Order: sequence, then structure tokens, then C-alpha cells
Amino acid sequence: MNIVVCLKQVPRDNTVAITSQNTIDASGIEMITNLFDEYALEAALHINDTVGGAVTVLSLGHEDWIDQHRRALAMGATDALLINADAEYDVYAAASILAAAAKQTESPQLVVCGRNATDDDSAAMAPMLARILGWSHVTYVSRVVSASETELELERKLEDEQEIVRVSLPAVISVAKGETEPRFPSLLRVRKFAKAEIPTRAVAEVLSTLPTQPQLIDRVPPPARKSGEVIAGADVAHTVATLVDRLIADQAL
Amino acid sequence: MANIWVLIDQTADNVLSAAQREIIARANALGTATAVVIGHHVDALATDAARYGVADVLVIDDAQLASRAADALTSALVACIRGQQVDVILTTTTLRMRDVSAALAAECGGALAADVSDVRINDAHVDVVRASHAGNVVSTWRYTQTPVVVSVRKQTHAEAQAGATAAPIHRATVSGITSGVQVVSSSRASGGINLSDASIIVSGGRGLGNAENYHRLIPALAEALSGAYGASRAIVDAGWVPYEHQVGQTGKTVSPKLYVAVGISGAIQHLAGMRSSRIIVAINKDADAPIFRVASYGIVGDALEVVPALIAELSKRRA
Repeated sequence: MNIVVCLKQVPRDNTVAITSQNTIDASGIEMITNLFDEYALEAALHINDTVGGAVTVLSLGHEDWIDQHRRALAMGATDALLINADAEYDVYAAASILAAAAKQTESPQLVVCGRNATDDDSAAMAPMLARILGWSHVTYVSRVVSASETELELERKLEDEQEIVRVSLPAVISVAKGETEPRFPSLLRVRKFAKAEIPTRAVAEVLSTLPTQPQLIDRVPPPARKSGEVIAGADVAHTVATLVDRLIADQAL
Repeated sequence: MANIWVLIDQTADNVLSAAQREIIARANALGTATAVVIGHHVDALATDAARYGVADVLVIDDAQLASRAADALTSALVACIRGQQVDVILTTTTLRMRDVSAALAAECGGALAADVSDVRINDAHVDVVRASHAGNVVSTWRYTQTPVVVSVRKQTHAEAQAGATAAPIHRATVSGITSGVQVVSSSRASGGINLSDASIIVSGGRGLGNAENYHRLIPALAEALSGAYGASRAIVDAGWVPYEHQVGQTGKTVSPKLYVAVGISGAIQHLAGMRSSRIIVAINKDADAPIFRVASYGIVGDALEVVPALIAELSKRRA
């Protein structure tokens, strides 16, 4: 079975700045593969261990992102494709581009994404990819129970519910942090792919017409929280009594 | 007047949730609201929704929807919306509805605004305000195509109040609901209060010293406050507490009316998951800990002394 895994790079800690042009400035912050995408890659490699086939890592982003592709190859991915883009796309435009790119890989049967990207946090990529491709989808997968060429059995976890579901392929799934940690690449493969050429294509080569995107009107830092009160005092019993009084006055209890 | 659909999905409890009453109030404020109640055997839910000031209620009830699979819900909604002039579709931000809202938006032209704190409708466009980058960036986006599917963050609007009159209830006839997803089994977590629904949350971090202190103090304080308990990533990674309890960027995002952070320094990744809580209390030995910058009330002190004193004070007040 041929699997496509979507990888995104995100700033490690989100302490980004807003430029005077209202773009997001992450300079000086280390860029890492989105945590949940690492779990997505692990799930894909796990399925590949059982069923065989190809695992293609795919991303839409800056040309610098080749390092994450090389690392994915070292972990066991068989192919990589980077769609080179500097602009900011909304999630539907990004999904449209990635769906078109996924379709252009060789007979894909499964697309795997992380549950959400920790920067944009729309958690919309997997459902959108599925509807654009006309496939079924399952979100918030915590474990791959079993896999075959035609069907997956998956465990998913919601707020306080857990499900076992069966989905027929082709399908899109999104993966949350589960019990299986992403594997480490072997040193041998790290060396083998250290300078691997990563196929790169322009957005226009993949999708000629982009969908309408929303217009950015305003971008600001969050409003400051009302400055707080430190309840001081040597007597702990008195301090906590004051705290409880405050919380009652605020109707927080 | 703009036409607003407010999606009321059947929950595990089969009653209207606080978040659903919130989006109904928002829909009523935005325009002519239709409550779209979707699931199987949802008559009681529809009757309840009709009392909250909406113009009418549309019921989509089908055995195929009993699984509550996003695939099935989306195909039913797409069938019902065809040919209708709907400007904005509001949903809650439960994980199921984050999923359905994205799938539905993809079927309706792609306009999705996820996890927003505000929605405004002007003559020819819809403006939404949403935070990204762990709350560090707040962007206003303008949509000129309709419908715009908007999932709305909890506790950003007053809840609708039930009135004396009930709106008319219509039933949709939907055929051809499809889903490639079959639910083999499902279960609900038992015991304890679900973090995402809790209105009070007590979380612990590394400042507690060890796992034993966490388990001795944090669930007890949560119980004294009738709340749920959470944890920082540091102690989840250290194996003190299961991942289900993790609050933050790579765990759960919560916005309770009261969040008590005990022994948590307040790394940006943790703040990402709780900074929109209404009241934040920080208990920490280190007066310079970043958590104090977002705290409504801070106590600089040893959690091992402060927490037992706080539990004692709360039980004294209850008595």
C-alpha cells in the first residue's frame, strides 16, 4: 500500500513576533517537525512494516524544510516531496495543494496527518484532505489496531470517549500522541540520506488555480491579562483564606 | 438579516451542553438562527433547543447518524444545505465538531474559521477573530464567500436562556447518508471529571517535587473544588501522570472559569493550553516564574504547605 504522510515545520515555542506588514516573524526560533506529524510518520511506518509499499513524506513550505525530509527518509520513509512556498496559505488552500500533490504520487491509498499543527492549530487538514479527495477519514487516532491492503482498524480518543473504528481505503487519518513513540533513525540511514536530493516543486506546478482565501484585516498580540494580585503574608492559613474570599467575590467558586 | 445555522450535534449525554447554549446565543445575536439538531433519536434535544430563542429548528434524524461519525454527519449536512442560502454555520469546538466543521467547510467552498473567539457580520462579509501560535498572535480574517463555517471557542459568549415560547420544529428528509467508517466499539472514560468540560481545573507540575506529592495533593484539591485535575508536560513526560491529563500545546486546551496551577513554572507551551481561563491562580515557590504574569492571584510559597491549607480552608467553608 502506498502512504502519503504530511509533515509541517513549526516554531519550537511559538514566541513569534508580528512584523509591520502583519506577517509572522519566527526568526531566531528553532523550526521543528510538528510533534503530531512525528506520530503520524510513525503510524505510517508501522502500517508499512505490516503491509509493505511506499511511504512518501509530503510538505508545503519553505525550501529549508529539506532537513525534516532527510530525517524522515532516515526513519524509513521511501520517498519525499516538498512543495516550495513562501506565502501564508489558509488551511483550505493548503489542503487543496497537498491533495493535488498526494494524487500525483503513485496510486496513494492512505494519507496520514498529525492531529493538528501546533502553530496554526486549525486541526482541519485531515478532514479537508479527505473531502477534497472524496475519501473517508478518521481523526484523533491513538493506535493502529490492524492494517491490511483494503482496511484499517483504528483506536481513537476523544475528550472522554474511546472508539475502535474500521475504515475502508482509500482514506485520510489524523494521528494524536499515542503509546508508540516515533522511532529513531538508524545512524546508517542518517548517513545514507544526509545529502539526499529532495524533489521540490512549485505550487503552480501542482495546482494551477488556488481557492479564494480569507483576507487578513488585523493582527495583534493578545490583550494583556488584567494584572494580578500576589497574596502575600507569612501565615499560610491567612493567605489561603484571603484567596478563597477573592475567588468567592469573583464568583469563581 | 443574515441566515445562521447553529449545529447541535447529539452528545454522549443527549442533552444541550453549555457550549451549545453559548453558540445558540451567538447565532441569535448574529441573525435569523436555525438550530440544526443532528443525530439519531434526537426529538428531546430538538424540543429543548427550540426553547432558546432560535427562529426555527431543523431536525436531521437517521439511524445512519447513530455512530456520530464525522463522515456520516457531513454527508447529511451537505445534503440539507444544498439550495439553501446560509451565511454562517456555527459549531462548538468539541473534537467531533472540529472534525465535522472542517469537512463541511471543504464541501461548501472552503471557508473555515476554527476555534474563534469572535464573529461579526457586516454587509458583504464575515469577520472572525482567532488566535494562533499558542495565543501569541490574534488575527482578524475577512471572508467574502458564504457559507463560512465557524467553530467557536467555549466561554467567549453568554449562554442562551430558555424562554416561554418554542420555535417551530421541521424535519429534514435526507437520503443517501454515506460513511466509510464503521464504529466497532465505543466506551466512555469512567470516574473523574473530564478536563475539557470542567469549569474548575487544578494542575500540578514539577514544583511538587515527586509523583507521590502530585497524587496526594492535586486530586484532593480538585475534589475539594469539585473540579478536574491536569498536569504540565514535564511531569507527563516524567511518567508521573498519564498523557490524558496533560494541559498545553501538545495536550489539551482548556478554558475553565478557574484554573489553579500548582508548582507549574508556566512555560509558553503550558500557557498555550490554559491562558484563556477566566481566573488563574498560581502557587509556586519561585516569585519570578512566568506563570505569575498570567495569574489573577498568586501565592508565592511551598505547594506542600499551601495546598493542604487550602483544602482545609475549603472544607471549613463548606461546613
